[in-house]
Amino acid sequence: MKMAELNLIIAGVGGQGSIRASHIVGIAAIQEGMRTRVGETFGSAMRGGAVASHVRIGKGVFAPLIAKDGAEIVLALEPLEGLRNAVKFLDKGGLLLTNTRAWMPVDVNIGRAEYPSLEAIKGAVEKLGGEVVAIDATSLAQQAGNVRTMNVVMLGALAGSGKLPISVETLKEVVQENVPPKTIAANLRAFELGFSAIKK
Amino acid sequence: MIGFADLIVEDAPGKRVLLMGNEAIARGAIEAGVSVVASYPGTPASEILETLALAAPKLGFHAEWSVNEKVAFEVAAGAAITGVRALTSMKNAGLNWVMDMFMTLVYGGVRGGFVIAVGDDPDAHYSSNEQDTRFAAFYGEIPCLEPANPQEAKEMTRYAFELSERLELPVFVRSVTRICHASGDVELGKIEKPERKPVFDRHWKLPWRWNVYGPPGPVEKHRWLHGQMPQMKKLVETLPWNKLELRGKPSFGIIASGIGASYAREAVKMLGLENKVAFLKLGTPTPLPEQLVGRMLKSVKSVLVVEEGEPLVELQVRGLAKDVNPDIKLLGKLTGSMPPVGEINTDIVAHALAKLVKRKLPADRPRELIKGEIKNLVAPRSSTLCAGCPHLGSYWALKLALRKVGGKVPIVNGDIGCYEQGGYGIAGKEYKPSSSSESVRYPIDAPYETLDTNYIMGGGVGLMQGQFQAGYKDGAIVGVAGDSTFFHACIPAVINAVCNKAKGLFLVMDNEWTAMTGHQPNPVTGITATGEETKLLCVEDVAKACGVEFIRTVDPFDLKATTAAIEEALKSDKFAIVVARHVCTLQAQRQKKFVGKRMIFDRDRCTGCKLCVSFGCPGIVFKEGKAGLDPILCNGCGMCAEVCPTGAIRVEG
Repeated sequence: MKMAELNLIIAGVGGQGSIRASHIVGIAAIQEGMRTRVGETFGSAMRGGAVASHVRIGKGVFAPLIAKDGAEIVLALEPLEGLRNAVKFLDKGGLLLTNTRAWMPVDVNIGRAEYPSLEAIKGAVEKLGGEVVAIDATSLAQQAGNVRTMNVVMLGALAGSGKLPISVETLKEVVQENVPPKTIAANLRAFELGFSAIKK
Repeated sequence: MIGFADLIVEDAPGKRVLLMGNEAIARGAIEAGVSVVASYPGTPASEILETLALAAPKLGFHAEWSVNEKVAFEVAAGAAITGVRALTSMKNAGLNWVMDMFMTLVYGGVRGGFVIAVGDDPDAHYSSNEQDTRFAAFYGEIPCLEPANPQEAKEMTRYAFELSERLELPVFVRSVTRICHASGDVELGKIEKPERKPVFDRHWKLPWRWNVYGPPGPVEKHRWLHGQMPQMKKLVETLPWNKLELRGKPSFGIIASGIGASYAREAVKMLGLENKVAFLKLGTPTPLPEQLVGRMLKSVKSVLVVEEGEPLVELQVRGLAKDVNPDIKLLGKLTGSMPPVGEINTDIVAHALAKLVKRKLPADRPRELIKGEIKNLVAPRSSTLCAGCPHLGSYWALKLALRKVGGKVPIVNGDIGCYEQGGYGIAGKEYKPSSSSESVRYPIDAPYETLDTNYIMGGGVGLMQGQFQAGYKDGAIVGVAGDSTFFHACIPAVINAVCNKAKGLFLVMDNEWTAMTGHQPNPVTGITATGEETKLLCVEDVAKACGVEFIRTVDPFDLKATTAAIEEALKSDKFAIVVARHVCTLQAQRQKKFVGKRMIFDRDRCTGCKLCVSFGCPGIVFKEGKAGLDPILCNGCGMCAEVCPTGAIRVEG
C-alpha cells in the first residue's frame, strides 16, 4: 500500500528501543528519497517512562508531531503505551500493532492504578474504529537470541503488515546498519520472526 | 553506509541524511569551522556537544564538558576573543548560570564568531521550568535565530558564526525540544577549515575591548552595543528565514516564528487555507524584520501570532502595529487565542486559526465521547529509577534512618539529576493541598515521594542552610545531590555551610557519571568529553578541603551500612556529608562490568506485605496479592533481597 503521507507512532517504555526503531524507519524513508520528520516525546528519565516517537513521511510534512487522530499506525512495544497513544492519535480505520508483553507501571504495582487487559485494549481500539493486531514480540526476541531485539521484531511485523511505503529490503538493510555489529544476526532473525508472525 | 562519527564529519555537500536537531546544530558548527566548543549536559541540548565531541578528534578542534554552563560559556568566549570560532550550548536553565558573563560580554563583543545555542523546553518535558530564553537575546541586545526544522537548525548555526563576526557580537540560536529532539532529512553543506591563528590585541577596534572597566568604561561600551542595532535590524530584513508570503488580497495573516511556523503550515493545510492567508515566517524573533512585519500589518485586517514560549514576537508586533495599522486585530497569547503555558502543536494552531477565519474544524463527536470513556482505561505511568539503580538503595536507607532518628517532620531538599525522580510523586495518586499551621509529615509509599523541595542545580544544599538558620526544629534537615551536581553548583554552598556554622546532612549520591542526560563524564569520571584519560577528583577530598569535618563513604547496595552511616550523620550535630558511591547500573551494564546475582523468588514465603514494592524498583511487580520479579527487567542487583523481611526474595547461594 502506497500513500502520499504516512503518520506512524512508535510507542513504548524508555529502554525498549522505540527511538532506535523510529530512526531506522526515518533513515530508510530518506534512503528511498522521501521527506521525513521524526519527533520524540519522552520523559527526563533514562528508563521506565512512557516514550513515543512520531514518524512522519511524505511531501507535505512540516511539523515533527502528528495531529490528534492523525496516525495511520501505532506500533506499540508495550500494550498500555499502545493504548495511550491510540486513544489520542489513531485515526479511524487505523492499525494498532502491539507487543503483548506488559511493563507494569509503578502506579499499578503500588495499587494506585489498574493495568488494562489485552482484551480491554482491543475492545477499546475497535470501538474507535481501529484494528488491533497483537504479537508476543518479547518471546520472539528471546527466540531470536536477544530479548533486546524486541523493537526489531516489531519493525519486522510493521514491514509484514504491508502498510509501510518503504521496501522490506531497504528496511532490513537499515536495521543491519543501525544495530551493534555483534547483534546483527539476532536482529535479522528478529526481523524475520516479526515479519512472519504477522503474515500468519 | 558509514558510522555516525564519520558521517558527521563527512565533507559531502548535497548528501541527505537523517539528523536530530541537536546533531544538525553541531553539523552547522562543524561546517563553519569551529575551533572551541564547551558545554555542560542538559536535556534537551546535550547531543549538541556529544556530536561535536565525536567530531573534535577527527577535525582537530577542542570540545569539552565543562564543570558548569558558566565555565563553558567563559571557555568559549575566551576563545572567541582570540579571533577563532567558538560555540557554547546549554539547556534553558543553563542559560541562567551564564547571565552574569553574558550580559557583560556583549559590552565589547567578540572577534571570532561566537554562537550561544540554547535548547528551550516548552511543556517542561525535561526541565524545572518553561522559560523562554529568546528574551535573553532581547535583553542582551544580540540577534536570536530560531529554526523551524533540523535543516534550518544547521543552516542557521553555520550562518550565526558569520553574523557574529559581522556584528562582532555573540549570536543566539534558540531551539526547542521539538527541534532538538526531532529528526529530519538534512542536506549537508561544505565543511570550512579556516586555519586561523588565535591572536590577541587589547585595543582591537575599541580601546580596552576585552576589559569592561578599561576606559572609556561600561557606559560607553553599552553605547557601542546599541550602535550595532541598526546594522542588525537591516541585516535581518533580507535573511532567507524571514519570509513574507503575500498573494492576492487576503484579509487574514499569520506571523509564525521558529517551530511555530511548522505547526502553522500544517494548520493552514488542515483548514485548506493555502494561498488564502498571508504568511510571515520568522527566523529572527529578535530583532524583528520590522519592514516585513509592517508590510504584513498593512495588508491584512487580522493576524494570528504563533510562537513557542512567551509572547516575545507578539509584544513587539503590538508595538509596531500602533504606528503601522492601529486598527488591526492581533490574536495570540496575550488575547487568549493561544495557550499561555505548555507547548503548542498543530491542533492548537488549527483551532486558533479556525476561529480567526470563522471556520469549523471537522469533529467526530460520538468518537470523542467514546474516547472520554476509554481514557479511564489508560493507567498512568510514573517515571521511575532504573531496575538496580544505586539511588534506590540510598533512598531506602535515607527513609529508614529518617524514620528512626529524623524527628517528627524531616525536610529532604532535592537537586537535579536522576535522583530528582525522588520527588516526581506517583501519577496515580491524588495529592491535596494542605492548610495546616504546623509542620506535617506525609507517608512515603515509594522513593518517588521522598523529596520535599527541589528547584535547580545546587539549590538543595543552600535551602537546607536557610531552614537551619531559620531555626527549624521539627525534624532533621537533609540535602541530596549527585556527583556532577556537587561539582557544578554545590561547592560554594558547602563552604558557606561550614563557615556560617549550618548543620544538617548532605547526602551525595555518586554514581560516577552525569547519568540523567546520557552518561557524560564529569570530574569524578576520570575521562574527558573526547574519551581521553584525565585527573579524577573525589567528592570527599573536596569536602575535606572545604572544612567539612564529618564525612562517611558507603556503598548504597549495602542497605544496612548506608542506613547506619546516615543515622550517625543525622545524630552528629554537624554539617555532615555522606557519600553513597556505586557506579550507575546502566553504565556498568553497558561497559560489561555489572555482575548480576541469581535471584530466587519463593512465592509461598511472600506474605504480600509490599515492602519490596515500596522500595520502588521497576523490576519488582505485584500481582494477585503477591510480589514477583520481572525476569526481563530485573538485573540481579540483590538490593530487594535485603528489603524482603520473609526471605521470599533471596540471592542464590
